[in-house]
Amino acid sequence: MDWLLIGAIAASAIRATTPLLFASLGGLFSERSGVVNIALEGIMVFGALGAAITAQLVERPYVAQDPNAVVWFAPWLGVLAAMAVGGFVGWIHAVVSIRYKADQIISATAINLMAIGIPAVLLTGLYDNSTTSERVQNTLPTWGVGAVQFSPLVYLAFLLVPTAWYVLFRTPFGLRLRSVGEHPEAADSVGIDVRRMRYYGVVLSGVLAGLGGAFLSIGNLNQFVAEMAGGRGYIALAALIFGKWTPFGALGATLLFGTFEAIGTLLGGGNLLPPALVQAIPFILTMLVLAGFVGRAVPPGAVGKPFEK
Amino acid sequence: MSERITVAALALLALLAVAFAPWASFEREAGSRAALTLLPDRVVDLTGRTDPVDVPGQGAVLGLTLLGLAGLGAGAAIRGRAHRAVWIASGAVLIATTLVGLDRHAGAYEAAQRDVVRGALEEALADPGGRTDVEGLEALLARYDAQPVETSRLEALQVGVRIRTLPYGGVAPGLTAFLAILSGALAFAFGVRLHPAVDRLVRRVIDVAAVPATAILLALAAAAVVILALQPTPIGREVVVDDWRTYLAGRLDTLWYAYYTLFAGSLGTFEGFAEALKFATPLIFTGLGVGFGFKAGLFNIGAPGQMVLGGLFAMFAGVYLPGPGWFVLPASVAAAALGGGLWGALPGFLKARFGANEVINTILLNFVASSLLLFVLSSSPVFAASALRILTALGIAAGVLILAAFARPVRRLAGRSPRRSAALVAVALLGVMVIAGLPRAGDGPVTLNLPFKVEGSDPKSVPLQETARLPQLPAAFGVDPATMVGSTATTVDAAAWAALAATAVVLVLGATLGARIGLATWPRRALAAGVAAAATYGVGWALGWRAVPFEVPPSNLNAGFLIAIGAAVFMQIFLFRTKWGYELRAVGDAPKAAEYGGASIARSTVVAMAMSGAFAGLTATHYVLGGALEDYALRQSLPTNDGFDGIAVALLGGNNPVGIVLAAFLFGVLKNGGSTLSIAFADLTRDVVNMILALVVLFIAARGFLPERFSDPIQRAAWRRRRGEVDEADAALVAAASDEGTPSDGEA
Repeated sequence: MDWLLIGAIAASAIRATTPLLFASLGGLFSERSGVVNIALEGIMVFGALGAAITAQLVERPYVAQDPNAVVWFAPWLGVLAAMAVGGFVGWIHAVVSIRYKADQIISATAINLMAIGIPAVLLTGLYDNSTTSERVQNTLPTWGVGAVQFSPLVYLAFLLVPTAWYVLFRTPFGLRLRSVGEHPEAADSVGIDVRRMRYYGVVLSGVLAGLGGAFLSIGNLNQFVAEMAGGRGYIALAALIFGKWTPFGALGATLLFGTFEAIGTLLGGGNLLPPALVQAIPFILTMLVLAGFVGRAVPPGAVGKPFEK
Repeated sequence: MSERITVAALALLALLAVAFAPWASFEREAGSRAALTLLPDRVVDLTGRTDPVDVPGQGAVLGLTLLGLAGLGAGAAIRGRAHRAVWIASGAVLIATTLVGLDRHAGAYEAAQRDVVRGALEEALADPGGRTDVEGLEALLARYDAQPVETSRLEALQVGVRIRTLPYGGVAPGLTAFLAILSGALAFAFGVRLHPAVDRLVRRVIDVAAVPATAILLALAAAAVVILALQPTPIGREVVVDDWRTYLAGRLDTLWYAYYTLFAGSLGTFEGFAEALKFATPLIFTGLGVGFGFKAGLFNIGAPGQMVLGGLFAMFAGVYLPGPGWFVLPASVAAAALGGGLWGALPGFLKARFGANEVINTILLNFVASSLLLFVLSSSPVFAASALRILTALGIAAGVLILAAFARPVRRLAGRSPRRSAALVAVALLGVMVIAGLPRAGDGPVTLNLPFKVEGSDPKSVPLQETARLPQLPAAFGVDPATMVGSTATTVDAAAWAALAATAVVLVLGATLGARIGLATWPRRALAAGVAAAATYGVGWALGWRAVPFEVPPSNLNAGFLIAIGAAVFMQIFLFRTKWGYELRAVGDAPKAAEYGGASIARSTVVAMAMSGAFAGLTATHYVLGGALEDYALRQSLPTNDGFDGIAVALLGGNNPVGIVLAAFLFGVLKNGGSTLSIAFADLTRDVVNMILALVVLFIAARGFLPERFSDPIQRAAWRRRRGEVDEADAALVAAASDEGTPSDGEA
C-alpha cells in the first residue's frame, strides 16, 4: 500500500462521510427533542432537488447568453434553497407528528414516499424528464491547499460537530431541547414550551439534512438524480444510534460508515468483487453494528412519544 | 351538526360549479381538448373545430338543479329531524335531473353524429369516386338506422367511403354534473337516516370511513394543485381564450378530466376493472404484510426486500423443482412465502435477540436485497479469486453457525453471554476470512456463470417450467387472450356462478347474523349453503343460464389474484379466530400486559415478522409465477416500490384484511388510471399517482386533521353520549373505559 492510495481512500472517505454527518447531526437535534426522524432520507432527496433546481434556474439566463458563464452565486443560492426546502419538509413532519400527534415513523415514512413521487412530478414539469435534472454548470467550488481540495460543505459539516456539541450541552437552548426529549412533563412543569422546542429540533434537523442533500447534488455531482440519497438517511440514523446520540459519537460512526463506503467503492472499481455486491456492504455492516452495539445505547427518554398536555 | 355543514358546503360548491364549471363535454379528442357545455346552453369550444348542437330541455335541467340545491341548503337550516325528509326529496330530484339531463345531452349528440355520418355517406353516393361500390353503399344507407354508427363507419370503409373520425365523440359528464349527483347522493344518504336501522348503518360507515375518506380527499385536493400547476388547459391551435369565464371553465375541465381519466377507465369498463384488479394484486399482498406487522406492533418497511427474496425463491423452485404440476406449483407458491418469510424473520430475530430496531433493519435489508437481485441477474459477475474464496468460506461458516444454533448445548453455552459469543464468532470469522483471502499462486479473476440467468445481457432469469406457472384467469372461462386476439367471446355457465354467489352470501350471513337466523353452527351453515347453491343452480337451469354469451376482457389477470384474496381470508381467520393471532394482537396492543399473561414477546416478534414477510414474498405469485412481468421469469424490473405502497394500503385499510383489499383495489384503480393519465395529458405522468399515495399516508398519519372523536372510539362514544345518541356498543365502550380508565387504540 502506498501513501497515494491511502490518501485517495481517506479523501474519498471524508467525502462519503459528509452527507452522512449532516443528516446524522440533523437527526441528533430532532431525536434529542423527542421526535424520531426517519424522514432524513426523504429530506435529503428534497434538499438535493431544491439545490439542483435552484442553481440551474439561477444560472440559466446567464448560461443562455454565454455557455461558459461563471455564476458564482448560483450554487450558494442552491445551498440556501436546500436549507429552506429541508426546513420546510422538516416542518411538515413536525406539524403532523407534534401538532397532530401522528405516529412519528408513519409521518416520516410518508415524507420518504413523497420523496419518490414529488421529484418525478416536478422534474417532468420542469425538464420533461422524470429521473434527472438538467446539469448544473456552476457547482460548488472546492477549497483547500494543494492536492487537498474539498467542497466548502465538507468543512462546514466537520465544523458543525463541535458547534452542535456546544449548542446542545453548553447553552440554555440545548438544555431545553434535551429536557423536552428526555422528560417533557418535567420540562413543561418548569415552563418550557415543549411543542415549540420540538418544532425547533425537527425543523433544524430538516435544514441540516437539506444541506447534506445539497452536497450530494451540487457538491459531489452536478445534477439531481432520482433516489439520490440512496439510503444515506437511514445509515445516518443508524450512525446516530451507534454514536449514542452525541455529536462526537455521530462523527465517529459516520466516519466509520463513510470509510466502509469508500473501501466498498474501491473494491467494486478494482474488479475484486462484483459492484452489485459491493453496494450491499455498507448496509450489511450497518446492520451488524446495530445488532452488536445498540443494546448498550440509551435513547432520549421520550423519543417517539407525542406530548399530551 | 357536521352533516349539515357538509351538505350545505357541498351544495354551495355545486352552486358555484353550476355558474362557472362545465356540466358536460363533447368532442373530446387526442390531447384531451374538448368542447364544454355549461348550463343552460352556453358552449365553450376549446377544440376550435366543432359546432354545438341544440340540446332541448337544458333550461329545465338548470331550474331543477337549482331547486334541488336550494332544497339541500334549506334542509341544512331546518331544525329537528324534518330536514332529513327535505334532503331525501331534493337529493332524489338532483340525481334524477342530472341523470336524465346527461342522457338527453348524450342522445342529442349521438343523433347529430348519425346525421353527419349519413350526410357524408349520401354525399359520397351523389358523387361516387372511382373506388366506391355504389350498390354496397346504397345497401348500407338502407340499413343505416338499424345499426350502430361505428359499424356503419367500418362497413363504409369496405364499400370505399372513408370517414376518418366520428364527429361528436367523447360525450361525457362534467364537474357540475358530478357535484350535483354527489351532493344529492350525500344528502339522500344522510336523509334516509330517518329510519333507525339505516341510521345505525350510516353511522357505522362514517365511523369506519371518516379518516381514510378524508385523507383521500385531501390527497386528491393537494394533487389538484399540482395538476393545475403542471398542465395548462389543452386548447386547439386557433382557439383564443380571452375572457376569465372561458379560462376558468377550461381550468376546471382540465382538473375534472384528469380525475375522470384516473377513475373512469377502471370503474367504467370490464377490461379496465380487470386491469385495476391486476394492479391491486401485489398491493393486497404487501398491504397484508405491512398490516400484519402493525397488528403485532411492528412496522415492517421491508416489504420491497421481502418481495425480492420471495421472487428469488419462487424462481428457484419454479425453475428447478422436478415433479408433476400439482406438486411443483404449490411448492413454488410456498417457496415464495418462505423466501419473504425468512427475509422478514431476520430483522424480527435481530429485534428479539439484540433489541435492534426493526424499522431501520428492514429498510437496510431492502438495499441488501436489491443488490442481491442485481447481482444474481447481472451478466457474468466477476470476482477476484481471493474474494470468491472469502465468500465461500463465509457461506460455509454461516451454514455451520445455523446448524450449531439448532443444537441445544451450543445454544445454551452461547446464550450464557451473547455478546462475548458474538465477539468470539466475529474474531473466528475474521481469521477464516484472512486465511481464505491470502493470495495464492495462479490467482486470476473468476467469472461466475449463474445457471439460472438467461443468456445475454438481459437482466432476467430463465423461464419457469410449464408446471410452475399459475393459470391466467381468462383461461378459467375457456379463453386464452394470447391466441384469441380480437375475439374473446365465449359462453359461461352463469347458473354455476350464481350458485357460487349464493353459497358465499349464505356463509357471510351465517357469519354475521348467524344467531338471529338460525345459522349459528357450522353444520347448519354448510347445509343451508348447499341447499341455497342447489336451488340457485336449479332456478338458473330453468331460466336457461347455463350458457350465457360473455365477452371475456382480454386481461392477463392471473390466479395470483385469487391467492391474494385467499391470503386476506387467511389473515382474517388467523388474527381473529386463533389463539396465536390473539397472542400476536395482544403483544401488539399492550406488550407488557401480554407478557404478564404468558405471551412470549420474543417469539411473537419473530413469528409476526416472518409471517409479515411471507405475505410480501407472495407477491412473487403474481410477478413471477403468474407471469405479470412480461413473461414467466424473474426480472430485475420487479417493481419493488409496491412494498412501500403496501404501507399506504395497510394504513388506509385500517390494518384489517377487508379494508386492505378495498384499499388495494382503490390504489389499483389509481395506478391503472395513472398510466392512462400520461397518455391523455401531455404534461402529466403516473408519478402523480405515486404522489397521491404518499400524501394519503401523510394525511392518515395526521388522522385527516379531523377532531379526535373520528379516530378514537372512546372519545366518539363520549361525544355521542353528550349529544344523547347512545347505542349499545358505544355505551359498553364508555362503561369499560370509565371503569378501568385505560385507553384503547383503534379496535372496536
